[in-house]
Amino acid sequence: MAEGYAHPEVLVSTDWVAAHGKDPGVRLVESDEDVLLYNTGHIDGAVKIDWQSDLQDAIVRDYIGREKFEKLCSEKGIANDTTVVFYGDKNNWWACYAFWTFKLFGHEKCLILNGGRKRWELDKRPLVKTPEPKYPATTYKAKGPDLSIRAFRDEVLLHQQKKGPLIDVRSPGEFTGELLHMPDYPQEGALRGGHIPGAKNIPWARAAAEDGTFKPRPELEKLYLQEAGLNPQGPTVIAYCRIGERSSHTWFVLRYLLGLKNVKNYDGSWTEWGNLVSVPIAKGPD
Amino acid sequence: MPIRSIRLIRVPCFRCTVDNSEPTLAQRIDDLAADFQSLDKRERLELLLEFANRLPPLPESYSAQKETHRVHECMTPVFLFVELPEGRVQIHAEVAEEAPTVKGFVSLLAETFRGSPPAEVLQVRPDLLHRLGLIEALGMQRMRGLNAVFNRIRGEVARQVGAN
Repeated sequence: MAEGYAHPEVLVSTDWVAAHGKDPGVRLVESDEDVLLYNTGHIDGAVKIDWQSDLQDAIVRDYIGREKFEKLCSEKGIANDTTVVFYGDKNNWWACYAFWTFKLFGHEKCLILNGGRKRWELDKRPLVKTPEPKYPATTYKAKGPDLSIRAFRDEVLLHQQKKGPLIDVRSPGEFTGELLHMPDYPQEGALRGGHIPGAKNIPWARAAAEDGTFKPRPELEKLYLQEAGLNPQGPTVIAYCRIGERSSHTWFVLRYLLGLKNVKNYDGSWTEWGNLVSVPIAKGPD
Repeated sequence: MPIRSIRLIRVPCFRCTVDNSEPTLAQRIDDLAADFQSLDKRERLELLLEFANRLPPLPESYSAQKETHRVHECMTPVFLFVELPEGRVQIHAEVAEEAPTVKGFVSLLAETFRGSPPAEVLQVRPDLLHRLGLIEALGMQRMRGLNAVFNRIRGEVARQVGAN
């Protein structure tokens, strides 16, 4: 399944999780779009981390800081040497978001359950409705933030001026500016529609197969190296979407499955760029 | 774990004639808001899940017209049928299982609005999610879909009242 990927060791199968999900030193983390989905059934032993209430600061538009991250890990029974296995709904979209946030704070052993909830359910494996398990608190020490994986707006502007590679992972309608938001999706407002000039549009879900797993490497290469023209030995790639969540899925694919060394997620994304005064914007397909 | 401290929501039967002892919709919403506000954020979510679990299935006779009743602003499939039998609001709905938050809110509105005169539904203020403490519990970025559900119901009621 994971053959051919640059870092196959970051993916685990449903078989592996069934056998090792409750091993000491392993913590399963479910992250979903819907904050209550975990409560309707989750993998036995998994804890819940919510992308909004746990990983985002409630006041400042930012991720939580180091101290809050340490507290979160401690409460979830995650130590610095714990192997954290992320999984979730919607092709692991939010699992990748949580994975990226853990990397921001320097957590070393992060894995993704390939296919997430969908593959688990397709394999007819059990989900339990028991309350979230409590594990002994840890004394977690966060590192970072690791800004080698996070881009801010000024850096994105310079990157754009130098014609650095940019991947816009939103839907074609959002990219062209025809829609200000995803079809059928609630959107956070932007005053202008379009994309960052020079960006290539590869909607994030094109990297996922029907069963929620990642597509095989040759198909991913076709998308990102041939269609988007990325050079694995080339300069830093910046991925963005609307608020940096869909692009963390693409960031994962580029960094771990295709092995690009320097990939950043611009979490300000279109809700920042589309509201900034005087920055360049392109409309239409190019 | 069920939330035990919650008062039962009093819902008048829409077939009954007006009974002055029944609380108005505004009073029922006040009660509901007080209940939600008395809970912490985690408990509010659990209460919302209880609402989700008791949304009745969409009656068979409605399923053929489902697609024309889809709330397109919601990312997951939500189908709403707003009706005014005998001049009282009645809502039937179906919401995808993978969206228990939306399902809970739809169920809460259907249950709370059931049997109310349309005028009372039209007077419900759009800050309902805030009053229930759900913005705090769910996060701002989950509000658009829920607001879309609320606006669809009000819009449908207004349209049908206007048409009569």
